[in-house]
Amino acid sequence: MRDKTDYIIVEFSKAIFIYGLVAMSFIGLGFYSFVTLEHEGHWLTGMNNQIVWGLPHVFAIFLIIAASGVLNIASISSVFNIKIYKPLGRLSALLAISLLTGGLIVLVLDLGRPDRLIVAMTTFNFKSIFAWNVFLYSGFMAVVALYLWMMFEARYNKFVGKVGTFAFAWRVTLTTGTGSIFAFLVAKEAYNGALLAPLFIALSLLVGTAFFYKILFWMDRGLGIPLGSEIIKRFRKLLIYFIFTVFYITILSHLTNLYVTKNHGYEFFLLFSGNIYTFLFWGCQMIIGTLFPLLILYNKKLSKSASGLLYASILVLFGGFSMLYVIIISGQAFPLDLFPGYIERSSFFDGVEATYVPSIYEFMLGLGGVGIAAAIYLFAIMVLDFTPRSLDNAATAMANVPEPVTEEQLEEEKESQEEVVDEKSSVPPDQKTTEELETEEKNKSADEGKPAEE
Amino acid sequence: MKKYKIKLDRRNFLKSSGMLGMSSLAPGVFFQELAHARPLNEPASSKNRWGLLIDANQCSEDCNACVTACNEEHGIEDFGRPTTDTQYIRKLNLTHEDSGESLTIPMMCQHCENPPCVDVCPTGASFIRADGIVLVNKHTCIGCRYCMMSCPYKARSFIHENLENQVPHTPRGKGCVESCNLCVHKVDKGENTTACAEACNKDGHQAILFGDLNDPESEISKKLNKYKTTEVRSDLGLNTAVRYRGI
Amino acid sequence: MYKILSIKISLALFLVLFSGSSITHENIKHNIDASSGDKCVEPTDVMRAQHHIFINHQSHETVVNGIRTKKYSLNNCINCHIKPLADGSYPSVKTEEHFCSACHIAAAVKVECFDCHASKPYKKVAKKNIEDSSK
Repeated sequence: MRDKTDYIIVEFSKAIFIYGLVAMSFIGLGFYSFVTLEHEGHWLTGMNNQIVWGLPHVFAIFLIIAASGVLNIASISSVFNIKIYKPLGRLSALLAISLLTGGLIVLVLDLGRPDRLIVAMTTFNFKSIFAWNVFLYSGFMAVVALYLWMMFEARYNKFVGKVGTFAFAWRVTLTTGTGSIFAFLVAKEAYNGALLAPLFIALSLLVGTAFFYKILFWMDRGLGIPLGSEIIKRFRKLLIYFIFTVFYITILSHLTNLYVTKNHGYEFFLLFSGNIYTFLFWGCQMIIGTLFPLLILYNKKLSKSASGLLYASILVLFGGFSMLYVIIISGQAFPLDLFPGYIERSSFFDGVEATYVPSIYEFMLGLGGVGIAAAIYLFAIMVLDFTPRSLDNAATAMANVPEPVTEEQLEEEKESQEEVVDEKSSVPPDQKTTEELETEEKNKSADEGKPAEE
Repeated sequence: MKKYKIKLDRRNFLKSSGMLGMSSLAPGVFFQELAHARPLNEPASSKNRWGLLIDANQCSEDCNACVTACNEEHGIEDFGRPTTDTQYIRKLNLTHEDSGESLTIPMMCQHCENPPCVDVCPTGASFIRADGIVLVNKHTCIGCRYCMMSCPYKARSFIHENLENQVPHTPRGKGCVESCNLCVHKVDKGENTTACAEACNKDGHQAILFGDLNDPESEISKKLNKYKTTEVRSDLGLNTAVRYRGI
Repeated sequence: MYKILSIKISLALFLVLFSGSSITHENIKHNIDASSGDKCVEPTDVMRAQHHIFINHQSHETVVNGIRTKKYSLNNCINCHIKPLADGSYPSVKTEEHFCSACHIAAAVKVECFDCHASKPYKKVAKKNIEDSSK
């Protein structure tokens, strides 16, 4: 099915300049932090022999998860064939690639020996989930690049569905792989469970959607690409679905732990003991990251406004980040129980809650990853036509209407019989949806005047 | 629970009968024989499985000799930063929650037969040698710390700073993970002991015994046969080479 | 036109950058501890060309298989090749007085070995320390 959206190459503007500058300064901070840590060693960070993975890993996993999540928007259009998302397909794939690059760079630069990256890429222990992830991540890049090619090249548009399905399967596997990094650790009570994989998938969908919406909003304000109420409506629904999914799996995993007596210690530690993780779990993850966005999304006025949804998205991103922080750090902070029934004490912090105070270097390294993701995105939209000219209701509805047939197209269609069959079969439902859309739009504008921009 | 494997083969038989013969000679000759238990050009063999037996009853709470000896043997510096400083071996004080019974033991890498650190290492740098010693190959370690996440004994440390003046037999440097290597340089030379065990014996506690779990004639095997011993976190089924008595 | 020009410029740059200071082995002063023996484990030209291969191979054999033959071991290199300075102390690997660094700094090839390995003859250093403290 040919993509009929009108794409543009974004021209250099004030918004691009400002965000480019921010991205570059983030990259600068990240680079400074990397060089310092590489020279001095990791004692400058808050990480230690108890908390071995800290803030950089939270940043990295957040970005990797967001990367697989943003691709969901493209998947909805090409796998589940919901055409209103079609104009967002290219952006979605681009964001996936840029976020993954940003995340992986943080992960790599935090290694003790980043200079040995080549070892990691050539020597594999296939029992290690990290080794699988090397293939999952690099494969994801390749698959998404292929997906992009299919979307860009009009002749190959007909393959978008198939490649998109493959990319969707790959991203589910990828997030499973990311979740399994923790899920398969037998040593730590907090991680012991395959439920982490679906939790990470749900979180990726949520964070990816929120992130995508943030970009759409920025495009509307910064680049002047109007965002229609139809898209806002859809994103509101997606956010609600995904918030509930994450909430459900979170509850489920804690209930599982609460039922198993030996895990009571960790649950008490996390949920009730009143430490920083308790605060982050209840305050940041549950209230700010789950309850507040839901209140916004179910508020009559806010839920229909572009900025209302933006607030919800930012809260969701904050909640998702806190959630990863809680999962990654608290699981390490909770002491191992080597001798059940005994109180353990040693000079190596056995039996006591490990302390972790992230240092500025870790934060800068994380920002560096964000900066790289942003820089790739900004650069790409300025050299290739990733960005739809408009996302207002008329434009998104247009994406569903078959274009008037030109001579060129007629020739191409003659060449490919399959394509003709494809288009014919999908024409009737297309028309129905456009009619529906148009009537809805009319009703709305009659009801409320111009639909909510503010 | 798995039992340690007992293998009586020709080699071990010859070795033990040879030692019997040697013991009648001058002591110097006897040690010469021990020192060349395995020729330097012969690889470590799965016929051996080196391990430790730690007797909690003999271990004294105010003694730190094994830790000091280990640090000295491997040239482990103290940077005065307890959260990031390396510890191959540490003294663990246990107090029973209800009875108040207290005991103290040294804790280190347990040299599992199925080590989680080896499973998770992406590059295979964390590996188990043929004779059962779990090591980090610092030539391929990329410093990802996944092994530290996976270790149920908290046995591993990450090297957080630049090091100088390392000792030749224990190469260690910034950005790699390390842990107790069962004094592999001593094992390879056939010294049949570890720094911690030596120090403990010297102090007269005799709480740490080094030996070959696969050799039924070794002192450690005999003791393991005679007394009830425990593996730490035996529920994980890792079959550790470090066993404890009296806990 | 510009293509040819840019090729010319880069060629000129290449020549300027890489012709000036060619490294000849004669420029480099050697500090070999003569007391340890009179010749290396292989002929000098073989060692110059292949020492890293021997050392790499040996490192694998030692770490993975526990083979500790002396011939190609890095400790053996250090014990012979690192000679005390005039004041009796041993040179740091960061200075050109260190046998390995002499060439490696000149050739700008980074040595990774001493990130982890001892760069000084341990036993001799220890002996000297004892002597110093007894004085």
